[in-house]
Amino acid sequence: MSSLANGIESAERAGEAAARGTAAAVSADIRDRADPALVRADRVEQLYSQLPLGLTATVVIGVIAAIELHEGRLIELVYFWGGLLGLVVVLHGLLYLGYRNDARRRENSAQWLRWLGIGAFAAGAVWGFAAAVFFPSHADERQVFLAFLLAGALSGGIPMYAASWPIFAAYAAAIALPFTYVLATFGNRLFAEIALLIPLFYGASVAIAFRLNGVFLSGYRLRHAYQRQLVELEEARRQIEASGRKLALFFERSPIAVLELDAKGIIQEMNQAGELLFGYAAPELIGQPVTRLVLPKYQPEFEGEWGKLVATRAPLAGLKVRNPRRDGLTVVCEWTVTPLVNREGQLISVIAQGRDITAQLEAERLKKEFTSTLSHELRTPLTSIIGSLQLINAGVLGEVPKDVAELTEVAERNGQRLLDLINDILDIEKIESGKLTLNPQVIRVDELVREAMVLNKGFGDRFKVRFEARGELLAREVSADRKRLLQVMTNLLSNAAKFSPEGEVVEITTEELAECLRVGVHDRGPGIPEAFRARVFGRFNQADSTTSRQKGGTGLGLAICKRLVEMMQGRIGFQDRPGGGTTFWFELPRHA
Amino acid sequence: MPERPLNKICYVEDDEDIQRIVRMSLERVGKMTVEIVTDPLRAIDAMKAFGPDLVMLDWMMPGMDGPTLFRKMKQLPETSALPVVFITAKATQRDMDELVALGAAGTISKPFSPKDLPDQLRSIWAKLP
Repeated sequence: MSSLANGIESAERAGEAAARGTAAAVSADIRDRADPALVRADRVEQLYSQLPLGLTATVVIGVIAAIELHEGRLIELVYFWGGLLGLVVVLHGLLYLGYRNDARRRENSAQWLRWLGIGAFAAGAVWGFAAAVFFPSHADERQVFLAFLLAGALSGGIPMYAASWPIFAAYAAAIALPFTYVLATFGNRLFAEIALLIPLFYGASVAIAFRLNGVFLSGYRLRHAYQRQLVELEEARRQIEASGRKLALFFERSPIAVLELDAKGIIQEMNQAGELLFGYAAPELIGQPVTRLVLPKYQPEFEGEWGKLVATRAPLAGLKVRNPRRDGLTVVCEWTVTPLVNREGQLISVIAQGRDITAQLEAERLKKEFTSTLSHELRTPLTSIIGSLQLINAGVLGEVPKDVAELTEVAERNGQRLLDLINDILDIEKIESGKLTLNPQVIRVDELVREAMVLNKGFGDRFKVRFEARGELLAREVSADRKRLLQVMTNLLSNAAKFSPEGEVVEITTEELAECLRVGVHDRGPGIPEAFRARVFGRFNQADSTTSRQKGGTGLGLAICKRLVEMMQGRIGFQDRPGGGTTFWFELPRHA
Repeated sequence: MPERPLNKICYVEDDEDIQRIVRMSLERVGKMTVEIVTDPLRAIDAMKAFGPDLVMLDWMMPGMDGPTLFRKMKQLPETSALPVVFITAKATQRDMDELVALGAAGTISKPFSPKDLPDQLRSIWAKLP
């Protein structure tokens, strides 16, 4: 049973393949858009919907045939055949009810198609049985009646099963084969000739069914493709609407001024932020040239820039322009200008987004002024304070009492600390605002390290720590800013001295790596606490805030070092030192 | 290198506290002779009268700033040849480099160390032609 069902299935596929061959390339798109499972479900629905009509016809014809044959011979066989026909009708009825009551019949359409195929074959076989049994045993008139009956049953199957030609082929074969056999073996020349005609008739019927099947298929496919396209169109329309709404919201609610201009520079639209920024209501500016928002003396320059923009269609960003407001004041705006070009390459419009940076520029100016003041006004008194204390502490003025000397040393040290802090803050500010420029020159690493050791010897003495080179210092060259690199070395050496136990040695090494040179400063300090490791190079960070009071330091030194080394295309880092302590290192690219 | 050792310094500076420290540093540590001028407008006259080996100029002063005074000195035959060292808290490295390019003998940034100031001046002196 299942092999028969499979046969129908694959024959059907073959039919589809054949239909595909006849279909033009245009319908390929339709086929792609129609889901084959949905098309099949529609066809099965069509087949089952015709079932009651077919069954009614079968019952009517069956009853007439039974009455007619009942008057003849082989009365038991007529009953038997009538019983078979009744059984097939009842089973078909049950099949129909089962299909109708299956809530998932569309999903199960393949199974229902198979059952219908089996049913059709069985129905055909009952008619075939009538042909085989009753034709030879009856007289001429009844033979004509039977032939007429069988031809009617066969041709009636065409509209019934047109939605699936393999089912029709099975049904018709079950009728035609026994009838052909009976005719061929009857021993009558006329019947033998008819027996030859029946396969031709069969072939023609199947061919018609096949064609009809193709028509049905393409009809269903078209319907599905159309439905699907409608759904897709609706979805696309919704998406476009949603993006349109989103875009309108972005435009209207944007905190920066947004203007849409046409290719001639006429304002098409302006948002609320634009109204607030320039003091015009949008309708006052719409339809006006954008030069209304350009100071007269800059207009020739603007025209030139606009011409370039329209010609090249290249977007611009970071354009600083002084724009006049309606009230006569001017605002400085930073503009991002984006030409919109369609697929044909035509300039549709130009979107200009402007941000008021007047306040920002003022803040920058104030910051610069503040930095300059900090630099000058704080350093000048510190010069006097530190200078005076240095002169006293150096003994230039002769011996001072021990208690006084202690206090003046404290004062000098803290004055120096304050100065370091100011210098560090200025450095950080300069680095972060991008104003620090480096003077790269070719430097010999060994000379630089020795110079740093000499410069920081005094600092080391204060903590009773010596700086020593371990191994031979490499006479290799790097390209770096000498003063700033010394600052980095000074920071690393003074940190190492601060955190080393008294009497210890801080070792300095140089090492040649693949493409760079590494300078290491190794101390025997307490090491860096786990919790602090991630913040070592952050600003105002010290592992233990008491050390800043006891030993000095601003908490900015390593942050500055990191930025300086990175500005010189290098890297800085640290690791635990075997045997205790920490190694801080930096690497700089070798000078070629 | 000039044959005679550096001795007479003229310092133009408006801040009296710094004047005092510089004077003490140069006189006591450096054993030099110092003439201090507070008013930059009178500096040229003072230089002519004092005849210094080297002039130290503050950058920011009321009345006339250091670089302007320096340019003025360059125009006068009596002062045009005097070596000038700028001592300032404000100038950036680039400003300093510009001054050196204009003919300044050297620059010292504030705060300076009064202990080391005489040596710093002597090393600038030693590099002069």
